[in-house]
Amino acid sequence: MDTAIGGAGKPVSENPGGSTLSRVEWSKPARAMGDFVVLAGETFAAAFRRPLAWRELIDQIWFVARVSIVPTLVLSIPYTVLIVFTLNIVLIEVGAGDLSGAGAALASITQVGPVVTAIVVSGAGSTAICADLGARTIREEIDAMKVIGINPIQALVVPRVIAATFVALLLYSAVAVVGLTGSYFFVVYVQHVTPGAFIFGMTILTGLPQVIVSLVKALLFGLSAGLIACYKGLSVGGGATGVGNAVNETVVFAFMALFLINILATAFGVKVAP
Amino acid sequence: MRKYAARSGRREPEEDETYIPGRQFLSGVVDAVRTLGEQTAFIGNALASTVDAVRRYPGEVLRLIAVLGMGTGALAVIGGTVVIVGFLTLTTGALIAVQGYNTLSNVGIEALTGFLGAFLNVRFIVPATAGVALAATIGAGATAQLGAMRINEEIDALEAMAIRPITYLASTRIVAGVVAVIPIYTIAMLMGFLATRFGTTIVYGQSRGVYDHYFSSFLHPTDLLWSFTEALSMAAAVMAIHTYYGYNATGGPAGVGEAVGRAVRSSITAGVFILLTITLSVYGQSGNFHLSGG
Repeated sequence: MDTAIGGAGKPVSENPGGSTLSRVEWSKPARAMGDFVVLAGETFAAAFRRPLAWRELIDQIWFVARVSIVPTLVLSIPYTVLIVFTLNIVLIEVGAGDLSGAGAALASITQVGPVVTAIVVSGAGSTAICADLGARTIREEIDAMKVIGINPIQALVVPRVIAATFVALLLYSAVAVVGLTGSYFFVVYVQHVTPGAFIFGMTILTGLPQVIVSLVKALLFGLSAGLIACYKGLSVGGGATGVGNAVNETVVFAFMALFLINILATAFGVKVAP
Repeated sequence: MRKYAARSGRREPEEDETYIPGRQFLSGVVDAVRTLGEQTAFIGNALASTVDAVRRYPGEVLRLIAVLGMGTGALAVIGGTVVIVGFLTLTTGALIAVQGYNTLSNVGIEALTGFLGAFLNVRFIVPATAGVALAATIGAGATAQLGAMRINEEIDALEAMAIRPITYLASTRIVAGVVAVIPIYTIAMLMGFLATRFGTTIVYGQSRGVYDHYFSSFLHPTDLLWSFTEALSMAAAVMAIHTYYGYNATGGPAGVGEAVGRAVRSSITAGVFILLTITLSVYGQSGNFHLSGG
């Protein structure tokens, strides 16, 4: 009984591929890392090679945008409201409630915007891309493409990575605008801050440099989440358990990569745009 | 029990019926309402059987607690759920140090970074990060596992053996998730604190006495308890949602992948609304904040 159930969760052992190295436990992550770097390199090389798969690109932009837009809108308002609410407790306590616009703009432009974009791109976009590619890998469509002489990197991976990057840029803009609008209504109508003071405060700490830094962050998020999703989707093996685990690993690795990029880019951003 | 699985996705569109304008929209609404009802029934059933699960299958619950803490496959290799969640709050804690210290020093009050470390970490940053991280790790893992079992017809086999599948699979996972989140969240909180302190005192060179003074002045045990409450409710919601999607996966191996994606999207959304509700209801009126440190 126990083994029958527990068996579903166990990783499916891969074909060792004949090398003695693959029997060593730690060589597996290293090998995966190497494969990922190779895929990333091939993708960048193929991105500048004609012809670009335009139709697939537009399809993928629509696909990624469709799965991401609802989580984006639903997440951006609560996150901004939460952080504005928490900051306003302090600001109102010290009698600086009129400055809440500065806090709201700083929070939603520099932090909530990129972080919600990271969460949505990795939680919604990359899981959908990985599930889609994983299904094709399982059905051996990728192998079939190789056999008839189509490079799957150029036909499938490049459009997906470009689509994820492009949609991440758009999503960041949506999150920032929706978050600011939401916090305006929350602060003005619920916490009774003067609307003029809120609008005036918005540009005290935040300006164009911060927006540009955040846009660069969003671009990096889309790029890395797209690459991770495509890598995990193409290297799926082992039936239903394999696809499920691949999507699980995609979302975990994408979160880790994106949060790491976020902290590095923020540290870089406060140096160039203080 | 079959009634949960038999509906979504498997219904054939009725062919030979006369055209009625707006029918597609209407059937969409009907489907949405039906899905909502099925979800409510499943989650209610799973939550109601948690006591049963602990009484009947204590061994399975203990096994799941161990599995949830470690994760499976490649995730176990990099250290399991504890390490992943800890790593994520480490980065967001460092974010407070970087953004907070620099913003506050713009207006000359960088001494108060310790206050941010105690205040924002406990009330917002660590619970929000942990909610997302739990959905990605223990939640998505559960969906992948249950989805594979549904596709491999192991769940049908359980029913044939007269074992109640929702109790055995979903309720045990909800209990195990809520128990496993306690040590995970403790580590997550500590990592957030350590990262903020490390970034402020070692990287930006603030004196440790100043940081610790403001940090301990504004760290309230009550806030920490509420923060844990938030984490426990999010863990229960995440496990309930993810077991639902895994239990009802359809469409072969590809369907399992889609189910994981859909589950992650729903549970992240549910998590932030739980956070918002608890934050507004606990701190909504007074704010429970006193600048004097009392």
